Amino acid sequence: MSDEIKWNRTISDVNDGILSNLGKPHPSYYIAWGAAIVCLLIGAFTWGMEMAVGVGITGKTSPVYWGVLITDFVFWVGIGHAGTLISAILFLFRAKWRNTVNRSAEAMTVFAVITAGLFPLIHMGRFWFGSYWIMPLPNTNNLWANYRSPLAWDVFAISTYLTISLLFWYMGMVPDLASIRDRVKGLRRGIYGILCFGWRGTAKQWHHYEAGYGFLAALATPLVLSVHSIVSWDFAMSIQPGWHTTIFPPYFVAGAILSGCAMVYTLLVPIRKMFRMEEFIRPEHLEACIKLTLLTSSIVFYAYAVEFFVAWYSGNIYEWAVFEKRAVGSYAFYFWVMTFCNCIFPLMWWSKRIRNNIPVSMFICILVNVGMWFERYNIIVSSLVEDFLPGSWGHFQPTLGDIALSLGSFGWFMFWFLIFCRYFPIVSMSELKLIMPKPLSKKH
Amino acid sequence: MKRPGGILVIYKYLDQVTDAMVAIRGRNDFKDHEVFSPTSYHEIEEALDASPSQVRWFTLSGALTGTLTGFGLGLWVDYDWPQVVGGKLPGLYSLPSYVILGFELTILFGGLMTILGMLVMCRLPNIKQRILDVRFTDDRFGIFVPNVAMDGEQATLLKQFGAEEIRQIESA
Repeated sequence: MSDEIKWNRTISDVNDGILSNLGKPHPSYYIAWGAAIVCLLIGAFTWGMEMAVGVGITGKTSPVYWGVLITDFVFWVGIGHAGTLISAILFLFRAKWRNTVNRSAEAMTVFAVITAGLFPLIHMGRFWFGSYWIMPLPNTNNLWANYRSPLAWDVFAISTYLTISLLFWYMGMVPDLASIRDRVKGLRRGIYGILCFGWRGTAKQWHHYEAGYGFLAALATPLVLSVHSIVSWDFAMSIQPGWHTTIFPPYFVAGAILSGCAMVYTLLVPIRKMFRMEEFIRPEHLEACIKLTLLTSSIVFYAYAVEFFVAWYSGNIYEWAVFEKRAVGSYAFYFWVMTFCNCIFPLMWWSKRIRNNIPVSMFICILVNVGMWFERYNIIVSSLVEDFLPGSWGHFQPTLGDIALSLGSFGWFMFWFLIFCRYFPIVSMSELKLIMPKPLSKKH
Repeated sequence: MKRPGGILVIYKYLDQVTDAMVAIRGRNDFKDHEVFSPTSYHEIEEALDASPSQVRWFTLSGALTGTLTGFGLGLWVDYDWPQVVGGKLPGLYSLPSYVILGFELTILFGGLMTILGMLVMCRLPNIKQRILDVRFTDDRFGIFVPNVAMDGEQATLLKQFGAEEIRQIESA
């Protein structure tokens, strides 16, 4: 699609334009960073309280032992999906628009997965007792982790995803870090020189780099699809009504990509303004991101419908009872927020006028993010709260502690993301040059 | 080790450098020349006419090691501490349970080895290597020919393709 874009810039403008973020940032940057630190401190204080007082400051209570914190975990893993989708899958499909957004989407992925990785620890309370069981080594009793359990698979899936996403992101940045090295002086030159490993941009280096990048993309592609499938098995492999369904892996993957793309858009719009990158991250690129969000929203809509149909058609009264309660029971509010935010509001994007209206699309993307958080909350809480034993049925209500920890995770995520935006190239310069008109002499 | 000097030719346009690359390809009087580009243009890759990158063998070996490690881990744990399911005898190993371990470690080891392969084949890290011209990571192309003087016929030939600048690089 970028072939049709009439660029007002040449490749000679790319480095100057993109690396303007290394200069003095817009005051709004400091406001955003300050807000992130405030949220982060609230979260850190609450986590400290949780360690001192106990997990009781969260809403976890029998029978809901997976409450808001596991909701946050699944939410952040989901956010982390768009980065590698955009960088790996769209790279293999040669979707050129991804070249302008992949770097920030990959950074978002890395920080989102790190944020997600904190939640199993926060969930445990005094994590120094519990964290051993995430990776039970050293093993002195010959009692091994149960590798037939989806929770053990999840540890492998998330840590592999984080490692590969981090490497993919960093390797993609090496030529751009060399560009920074070549324009700064003094100590900074030395630091960026080390960070780029001494990259020189020879044709042979590009030859091996391109091959390696392609292989990494090929490896990361099934990984993207597998990670949220495995997260979904944390639920689907139990016998809990509302969880025990084979539709979960594709449903979770589509939902993850939906929330990830919506988050990419939510982050890109202020960033392109803050760092004056409108000439490079063009409305056409943002529209392509919206189209992908609309596609995944449609898949999620279909999955919601099929989930209900299967619950009814299976004739399993326990399964149907859960779905009935989700729609019209005490958790109906969460269900309908989820449905409207993820399925109904995105339908407005069928109109090209709305797709290209950046403030309206940004608002819908924020609604999608809210909806996707509610989706995870709906799945986790409404299934657990009324299990097979009516005597243990209860009610779950998020506490102030839950809300503060969730807010803290947003602060933590934004804190790192904004640091990245300040000191690293937000757009992949070497890849952006590839989709701009080639520098050819007049004879062509 | 002392790095040899030579001539550095700078081009503004992609087609100029690719034409020059094709003209000097395989010639003994341009031995060990290096081409610089701000990004990975396929035209340069074609003009380079290099054999497929050896990075693929790193990826393959890493991925296979990962597959074996994943399945091996699951099976060994099963052997070390049998988990009797449904009254089945220990020693009846169920491979499908370990597909996830095998899959994840295939990706993990394959990815790590790919990075290692890229670094080895690109001869990185090499922080002390001299940067010949800072514009090569911006918008200019270049060809460096070692052990050649400005007044040599190599310089004359490379100039013909529309060189923007040509200069002598001293050995360092």
